[in-house]
Amino acid sequence: MIAPDPRPQRSTLPTRRNWRDLGWAVLYMAPALIVFAAFTYIPFARSILLSLFITDPIGNPSLFNDIKYYTRILNLDGSGRDEYLRSILTTFQFVLLVVPTGIVLAVGLALLASARVRAIGVFRTIFTSTVAISVASASVIWALIYNPSLGLTRWVLDLLHLKTEGVLLDPLTALPAVAFMTVWTTLGFNFIIALAGLQAIPQDLYESSRIDGAGGWNTFRHITLPLLTPTLLFLVIIATISAFQAFTQFNVLIANEGPDGTTNVVVFALYSAFFKDNRYGFASAVGVVLFVVLLVLSVVQFRLLDRRVHYQ
Amino acid sequence: MNQSSGSLAGETSSGAQRLADGLKLTMLYLLLISAAGILLFPLFFSLSLALQGPTLAPTLIPDFSKLDWAVFQAAFQQEGNLGRWILNSFVVATAVTVGQVATSALAAYALATLEFPGKPFFFFIFLGTLMIPWETTVVPNYLTVVNLGWKDSYQGLIVPFLASGFGIFLLRQYFMTIPRDLFEAAILDGCSRTRYLWAILLPLSRPALGTLAVYTFLNTYNQYYWPLLVTDSAQWRTTQVGITAFRSSEIALYNLQMAGTLIVMLPTLLLLVIGQRQLIAGLTAGALKG
Repeated sequence: MIAPDPRPQRSTLPTRRNWRDLGWAVLYMAPALIVFAAFTYIPFARSILLSLFITDPIGNPSLFNDIKYYTRILNLDGSGRDEYLRSILTTFQFVLLVVPTGIVLAVGLALLASARVRAIGVFRTIFTSTVAISVASASVIWALIYNPSLGLTRWVLDLLHLKTEGVLLDPLTALPAVAFMTVWTTLGFNFIIALAGLQAIPQDLYESSRIDGAGGWNTFRHITLPLLTPTLLFLVIIATISAFQAFTQFNVLIANEGPDGTTNVVVFALYSAFFKDNRYGFASAVGVVLFVVLLVLSVVQFRLLDRRVHYQ
Repeated sequence: MNQSSGSLAGETSSGAQRLADGLKLTMLYLLLISAAGILLFPLFFSLSLALQGPTLAPTLIPDFSKLDWAVFQAAFQQEGNLGRWILNSFVVATAVTVGQVATSALAAYALATLEFPGKPFFFFIFLGTLMIPWETTVVPNYLTVVNLGWKDSYQGLIVPFLASGFGIFLLRQYFMTIPRDLFEAAILDGCSRTRYLWAILLPLSRPALGTLAVYTFLNTYNQYYWPLLVTDSAQWRTTQVGITAFRSSEIALYNLQMAGTLIVMLPTLLLLVIGQRQLIAGLTAGALKG
């Protein structure tokens, strides 16, 4: 996507027209630059600053706190309180529950939907449909699906011999339940990407494999899967980043840290510290930790992007 | 095709072949239909509950002889702000869409078409915005909006989203496919830089602008976290925050909750059907960048 400018650089020294165009360029870029300065870069710097201070109730830094918030989050302060470290762990658990399932299902659907048969367009639209459904609306619907008084998910608890009221109230099932609903809401998006990846595979490869007498599974194993790998790696990283940032479904379905704190994902912990407790400095520190984690994931993503570009 | 027509062996093998193909096709449709059924289950479920009247013990399959279609009207009466929420969401999503397309087109034009010193610097400024998750900046942004007195206002919901790194790179990519000679020729003919953007580049870039517009509208309409933070009073909520608050209010029986949710979902589902091509283009491009 962010390919380097393919045009040859004409000269190394800017001409007079280049300098004049700088003026125009700055003018054209100014609206975006102002918005980014005001709502991305300055707040980012303020976040780092705030994370080093104890703040007053209206969010002004009042007492220098060094990196104590960070040591508190990472449980390096010797207090033994590890709820934020657990929070990060919970987020990774959530990612592991959501991402592989979501991608396997999406590839399965994409394989089905790449068949060239009548009315396939209708099925593709249906498989895509959850991209248009907001996580908030989906959460309201799934809250009723999981609602114990409707009894729709009772069998899951019976199966596991659990004696709780509902799947969202038991420490064993709460996180998987939110994850399952998240798989549903993200399926449309994953399907679109997987289908695009499948359609990018040259058809003549399938032709020759059929002539060679390869069966369905062998074709998938030796042609589809290797050529789909770049798309899959992509999906893994994008899905991971977005699962890391999941908030809405936790706030609507659970609305607290969950049974025994089992659904207190990082973004929800940040929200609680910030919006419920007004601990602005601490919440900023959580935000910076989140930034570092996502940055590492992004770097991996760009590495993969580079590899993909050379690959094809 | 088997050419040995008349021979018994050839006939049975092509007959068996046809049977096998037919079976395969039937299997495929069965799989497609069951996958579609499972995927659509939550939507059927919500529609079924919505139409069953104010019962506390709804069933999975409604009694088709007494479906209560008036529930959609009742939802508007029971939650008097529902209309206002929809209006708010449309105002915010439209303004953000127009704003993002405008600021992105201007910045992308500078990056794609003009040659100027310091371009890599600006390029990285825009690229960098994609690296900062907005949860990291949410605390200062919230404090800014509070200090400006923008809580419960359209400004507070709109202004922070008036620029998008994704939009800039999407449009830049498209602008770069338009021959630069066109720009040089227009400038030689005395066309101003701004007029070239307005009269030539933008009309030629309608597909990319459409992609960005549909994508941005959908994302903004479906926003939840930010509107939750910066709206306090019921009338300033957007659909997404409103519908979740309505859920926990006492007046909301199951049928009304589901009716309200379906009403709120309708615009984006329509957008999916009408603008599917643009939306998919936007999502695929977005995916390539995360």
